[in-house]
Amino acid sequence: MSQRVTNISPTWCPGCGNFAILGAIKAALDQLQIKTHQAVFVYDVGCSGNMADFVFAYGFHALHGRGLPPAAGIKLANHNLKVFVIIGDGGCYGEGVGHLLSLARGNHDVTVLTHDNFLYSLTTGQKSPTTPKGQVTPSTPLGTTDEPFNPLATALTNSASFVARGFAGDIPHLTKLLVEATKHQGFSLIDVLQPCPTYNKSRPYSWYREHVEYLDKLGHDPANLEAAWKASYKTDKLPIGVFYQVPRTPWHENFALLKDKPLVEADIRQIDLTQVLDEFK
Amino acid sequence: MAFLNWKIAGAAGEGIKVSGLMLQKTAFRAGFYSYGSTEYPSLIRGGHNTFEVVISNEPVASGRIKVDLLVDLKASTIASLPFPLADLAKQSGNLLTKNTVALGGSCFLLGLDLSLLKAVIKEAFAGKDQTIIDQNYQAAQLGFDFAAKNYSDKKLKLDAPKQPLNNKIMLNGNEALALGAVAGGMKFYCAYPMTPSTPILHYLAAKAEKLGIVVNHAEDEIGVINMAIGAGAGGVRSMVATSGGGFSLMTEGLGLAGGTETPVVIILGMRPGPASGMPTWSGQGDLLFAINAAQDEFPRIVLAPGDPQEAFALAAKAQNLAEKYQLPVIILSDKNLGEGYYTTNRPADKHHNQRYSLASGLTESDQPFARYQVTESGISPRPLPGTPGGIHLINSYEHDELGYATEVAAERTKQMNKRLTKLKTILASPDLIGPKRYGPTTAKTTIISWGSNKGAIIDALEQLPDTNFIHFSWLWPFPQNQFLSLIAGKPRLMTVEANATGQISKLIAQETGMIIKDNLLKYDGRQFYSEEIIEAVKKL
Repeated sequence: MSQRVTNISPTWCPGCGNFAILGAIKAALDQLQIKTHQAVFVYDVGCSGNMADFVFAYGFHALHGRGLPPAAGIKLANHNLKVFVIIGDGGCYGEGVGHLLSLARGNHDVTVLTHDNFLYSLTTGQKSPTTPKGQVTPSTPLGTTDEPFNPLATALTNSASFVARGFAGDIPHLTKLLVEATKHQGFSLIDVLQPCPTYNKSRPYSWYREHVEYLDKLGHDPANLEAAWKASYKTDKLPIGVFYQVPRTPWHENFALLKDKPLVEADIRQIDLTQVLDEFK
Repeated sequence: MAFLNWKIAGAAGEGIKVSGLMLQKTAFRAGFYSYGSTEYPSLIRGGHNTFEVVISNEPVASGRIKVDLLVDLKASTIASLPFPLADLAKQSGNLLTKNTVALGGSCFLLGLDLSLLKAVIKEAFAGKDQTIIDQNYQAAQLGFDFAAKNYSDKKLKLDAPKQPLNNKIMLNGNEALALGAVAGGMKFYCAYPMTPSTPILHYLAAKAEKLGIVVNHAEDEIGVINMAIGAGAGGVRSMVATSGGGFSLMTEGLGLAGGTETPVVIILGMRPGPASGMPTWSGQGDLLFAINAAQDEFPRIVLAPGDPQEAFALAAKAQNLAEKYQLPVIILSDKNLGEGYYTTNRPADKHHNQRYSLASGLTESDQPFARYQVTESGISPRPLPGTPGGIHLINSYEHDELGYATEVAAERTKQMNKRLTKLKTILASPDLIGPKRYGPTTAKTTIISWGSNKGAIIDALEQLPDTNFIHFSWLWPFPQNQFLSLIAGKPRLMTVEANATGQISKLIAQETGMIIKDNLLKYDGRQFYSEEIIEAVKKL
């Protein structure tokens, strides 16, 4: 088994869902037998992004909300690498939501793991795009007035080719999702339900256990877009599993140039401009 | 006359630019030097568009105020002479050939060979129906014949080219920047459309396959810069281009490149601001912004080519500088340079590149690689993701030598010093391009300028006795020693730049303590004309 973590101890709060997600990542990488140097993790800024110091793999700790574009750039540079994005609900669905739509529509072959705890926790618990309406937070002392953002429906609407939801309280299930998402050729989003024991006390692990339901046990067909859509709108129960998966050409495969080798291996030692310069004669 | 100024004016949508370029190409093929520039509002139909071409039998690189031959489509006149453009177009069988009639008429009045225009027509309409090409041939002929019959006494006397143009091409600054970047090994170009840099996107997108590059029109400028930085982190030489507004959106990403020490090249095509400003006009109001953009301090290089030849060379060099010093390189262009068409030396066909500052000889390891190792030069070897034994974290947070986040005072200071050391390394290296002097070695008056004003000033020098010119194409880190050596004779200094507060003067004052009191400033969006520069120097 490869070394998957550094010798830096995680700084997350006791009981944080991030520990479980990190566990699932390690397990998935092992199952997929991905060598440490063949994986690149791009981290957004947030509690989840602090995972940057704990994972032993190539890493890029990006700006807040901007985890997705560098991931697309790294994948473009070397499409033989497996590229993951570790991001929170604030970065992915708030500050960086335009990038989410863009990568989903383009089908960039990266796996996005959104640690969705329904709050901005690193900045001490303000509302996030997924915070339920009416919840009191430091930035919304009278309760949020916004309807919550629906990440799964948004991803489905914007042609994401792999859409799933996992739960930090079920590591084997999350590991399985991660393995499937990584194998998927194209964009994959896994929205991970996770508790924040410090700032979101109304939703501890026990609350999630009462609310999650397993899509595969309900006979859900991941090829059925309409069924996926319906499931994404459920609020009384929170379905987890693969909502939707469809084969679609990954972004980098649109370029004939990248057919034989990754862009980073394109030879720049000798560039011949004769033909194009002739056009200016 | 050694040169003359031809101009065509009409409404947006009437094909003013295409017509202007056809006339300029015809003059170029006839062996003349030329400078073509276009003025147009930010709309698709209506308004007032112009394209003017200075045609000369010796090198020229700027526009002129005085127009010798104006084609006015609205008034249907050429050089104020009635010209039945619509009637002749109808005779050709296609009313849309009005402009071509005018070009035919212009060819006669300028003494240009009609067959050259016809060849240009064939190229311009390549892929179109043969009928359209034939109608345009006919229109050009009708215009030429009408001028010959009615205005043979109005023919302008333009001196023939002194010698044939040897190994020259005709292109604009945007095309030169695009091609230069490719020559320098750029493999990924990412952009969001913004005037005046949009033509770079169009050109590279059209030629991507031929040039062996990937081009992406991304969701917004924030996505653009962050994706380019990602590709850069992955080892691919990358470039983006925008204008001031887009660059404002990119500033956080600029700092990301600085702090993570990731190579990226940014073209900032300036136009008047603030905010949306005047999108289709020119300016140089972003010099100090480019040097100072993004929070806190980190090394960057800021270049400002003065013409397509420098644009090509610096865009190629920028790719190498960004990789070698692991930092963002900003190339300041503007609408004048980007959309101005020049007669310029053809660059070399073949270009050689080497990779810089990459880690080599690594073997598999269970330890992280010290990506941010403190070195004498400030440059730390960089393994590319995917390399066994090179595992590291590229970190936007302050980090230690291994890349892991740190807030330890000593580590912070160490990394800041390491990064800023690169500026000293650059200043001491042969990579630095000092300001260049044009005109006599010593003179009573020295004009100081940067970027695209170069052409107008050089064109003015011929008529300015005892005057020379110092042009900066490299502005940051400021080449202080090289500059001071050029003004050792203590000439009277006058700056010329297209902004309201004299930014190069401020930069010189900041870096040398020298206050330059004579400043020719222009911030109306228009190009500098040599006439204005001559007048300003004479008034000193």
